[in-house]
Amino acid sequence: MLQSLMVLLAAELSAQIPITGKVTDTQGKGLIGANIYLEGTYDGTSSGDNGSFELLTSEVGKHVLRIEFIGFEAHKTEIDLDGVPLQIPAVTLKEAFNELNAVTISAGTFEAGDKKKSISLSPIDMVTTAGSQGDVFGALKSLPGNTTVGESGKLFIKGGHSRESKTYIDGTLVYVPYSSSSPNTSVRGRFSPFMFSGTMFSTGGYSAEYGQALSSVLALQTNTLEVQDQLNISILSVGAELGGTKTWENASLTTNLKYENLGPYMSLVPQYRNWNKKPQTLSGDLSFRLKTGKSGMLKIYANANQSRLSTFEENLNNPGSQYTYSLVNDNYFINGSWIGEIAKDWILTTAFSYTHNVDDVTVDSLQFKEQLDGTHLKTTLKHRINEKTKIIAGAELFSKRYGLEFPSPEQVEGPLAFRNNTLAGFIESEFYASSKFVTRVGVRAEYSDYLKRVSLAPRLSTAYKFNEKGQISLSYGWFFQDPEDEFLLYTPDLNYERADHYTLNYIMNGNKRVLRTELYYKDYQNLVKYERGVANEINSLSNKGYGYAYGLDLFWRDRKSIPGGEYWISYSYIDAKRDYHNYPYEAIPTFASKHNLTLVYKHWFSRLRSMVGATYRLSSPRSYNNPNSELFNNERTIPNQSLDVNWSYLHKQNVIFYFSVSNVLGFEQEFGHKYATLPDGEGVYQSAPILPGSKRFFVLGCFITLSKNGKVNQLDKIN
Amino acid sequence: MKKAILVFSTICITLTAMGANEKYVQKMGETLTGFNACNSIESYQALANQFRTIANAETSEWLPLYYETQCYILMSFMENSGAMAKDAWLDQAENSLEKMLELAPQESEAYALKAFYHTGRLVVNPPQRAQTTSPLIDAAIGKSLSLDPGNPRAKYMRLSNDMGTARFFGSDITPYCKDARELLEQWDSYVVQSAIHPAWGRDQVEEIVSGCGE
Repeated sequence: MLQSLMVLLAAELSAQIPITGKVTDTQGKGLIGANIYLEGTYDGTSSGDNGSFELLTSEVGKHVLRIEFIGFEAHKTEIDLDGVPLQIPAVTLKEAFNELNAVTISAGTFEAGDKKKSISLSPIDMVTTAGSQGDVFGALKSLPGNTTVGESGKLFIKGGHSRESKTYIDGTLVYVPYSSSSPNTSVRGRFSPFMFSGTMFSTGGYSAEYGQALSSVLALQTNTLEVQDQLNISILSVGAELGGTKTWENASLTTNLKYENLGPYMSLVPQYRNWNKKPQTLSGDLSFRLKTGKSGMLKIYANANQSRLSTFEENLNNPGSQYTYSLVNDNYFINGSWIGEIAKDWILTTAFSYTHNVDDVTVDSLQFKEQLDGTHLKTTLKHRINEKTKIIAGAELFSKRYGLEFPSPEQVEGPLAFRNNTLAGFIESEFYASSKFVTRVGVRAEYSDYLKRVSLAPRLSTAYKFNEKGQISLSYGWFFQDPEDEFLLYTPDLNYERADHYTLNYIMNGNKRVLRTELYYKDYQNLVKYERGVANEINSLSNKGYGYAYGLDLFWRDRKSIPGGEYWISYSYIDAKRDYHNYPYEAIPTFASKHNLTLVYKHWFSRLRSMVGATYRLSSPRSYNNPNSELFNNERTIPNQSLDVNWSYLHKQNVIFYFSVSNVLGFEQEFGHKYATLPDGEGVYQSAPILPGSKRFFVLGCFITLSKNGKVNQLDKIN
Repeated sequence: MKKAILVFSTICITLTAMGANEKYVQKMGETLTGFNACNSIESYQALANQFRTIANAETSEWLPLYYETQCYILMSFMENSGAMAKDAWLDQAENSLEKMLELAPQESEAYALKAFYHTGRLVVNPPQRAQTTSPLIDAAIGKSLSLDPGNPRAKYMRLSNDMGTARFFGSDITPYCKDARELLEQWDSYVVQSAIHPAWGRDQVEEIVSGCGE
């Protein structure tokens, strides 16, 4: 009985009928390899040469026929099977919307991350770029828009001052992103690129999520969970570093201890600067990662850093004499963030940062302390309304105390300080009309309890993709920033400074080659103006300053033409003028070169297991002011040129040697002149040239990584 | 009588359950033979589709997703129209890999395949990706071996990765050849859980051994 039933069943099974049809795209082209199947059964097939298919099934009754193809929207048809062959009308699949392939808002933005089609610099690019010296900011200077200001080392973007640029780590503000040094000395970023897995660098027109920056925003995403226990040892010609990582199933802890002493190096290599005590830095950091639940990630990072140095400076008010400039800098930074999906398509981020920075400066016998304590709290909620519409809203609190203190009682006034709490909120929506057209509209509001003023900043961006390769992007927005601390110290009676950005960007991206061009115009308003009094004091503070900057950025990156090699070329043209601070009239600011050119080349020699890189930079003269001249900011520096090279050699799996030289050809570099604050007996302000620390800078290093299997190395750490 | 009905219905339920499972095993077995005939991206795509169809019907089974993932990884190796196209296949592999890991978070084989997937990402651009991907490969192999210290596929992954690195550094590969021979000798003594569980890898190890010479 049972047997005959089985036979019957088997007969039933073998009685298969065909379902036939054809799958095409919207242009009528047959799609090959689409998956066609009856839901809930094993019966399926793949489409063949011209998109046609034949599916055999023995099912009867109502079923759902599903057609899927990679990159297209799935198609469902209800069919009724009654044992007779079935012919399905041709099915047209629509291309699915995929944000990764869709147009992106590119005006002003350089973005690099794990999954992005990056045209920007990934952390590994940053460390292997010659001349960057392992510094995030050093590497960003090889992108267009930046003016090289050798006596500062900071970022000066599109005719803006470095203070107009802000740095964020995991969404929170880093109040003091640069190291401290003596006047007219190039500084570095405080954070090593190897901490980060994603970078977003915007040189204009950025999202409403970012405020308090008139020129640019650098948003860095730190690494997620580390997956391997290891110990790192680095020995450099200028110091040593020891670090370790311990991992658990859902957590990891990394610590680093670093000591830098330029003393031995500076004794060997001739220096222009006359050092009293050569720079020493001790720093330690700790980072903790914890995966919470399915999608949550908790990150905590803390860094403590102390550096000290002392130099002999020429006293230009009394030629032939000199004074000492001594600096002790203490910096603590801690930030934490949690990100997670709290419900389907709702992502919550909460983050905080705290910065404590003290510069204890002694100039000759006058001692003062400059202290900054800054807190940033931020919460954002991101919601995907549908696959084409996203909305993000957030609230932030910035709290900053800035003060100057003169410890010795007999010296000058008492402490000078102010606290500024700024409450900010923003909302922004990104809407894709199709995968070719996207618009982002946002607004940001801020209220400062010190300035007692509200700012309201609209932001608007849009992008359109012509074809696979080309896209155009436009953006417009208002940007506000508090006046400088040194002015707010004297009065809260100032307004926000303002810049309006207009950016037009065109990108052609194809097959490992990218061309990016950008035209921009920035309109500065409400800049702080003041007059210098007879004792050099600041008088008549107002927001009557104004200015503009416009220019052209060109960026070409080619990872294809030279096997084993890649290069990029950045060029920017900047025309900027402003009437602010103590300028008597509208003049070119000191931090804008008209022409800036950077060429970067890297080559991987696999037989030598070596990465070799070279970077050439050329900037046209910058202007600076000579108080002996009738005209303001009318002197010009010499053009700035440098050729930097580096070489990294993979000795063993876990041992890397590294060597780099800056300005290898020894081009003459001079960053303008500094002047006496008072005229001499003949009414002349004495001057001296501002020079780099030395003609060339050499680094020699060895990086060793110890892990259980000895395979990992510190390639990403070379600097 | 009541008891009889109960017994009967129990038998029925067991039978249908068995029936369903047998049907699944049979279908998987049939589909697995498809690997032998695969010689192009198109044929692997068709095979991946078949596994996907089974995976969609059997939402609690991880093996169909395992083989779907494997197909897409192999497709990335066969692709020769550039890094973007290779990565696109690996994106597909990642999709089914993640689904599989959710269903089988304690399966040694699942992590051996994860190591294979990361190896696929690595070979797209070794100089750019070695640093970030190598630790992921190692972690996946480590996890796989911690769940089943004898898993020959995890051992093969480790061996082939180590040999690749040794070749790159021009160091001696003879110790690895010894390991490969040992692995090959023991290969057949490893008991595969069922006829539809992963059993591949022997050919690849043979290839390594023959590459070593005598």
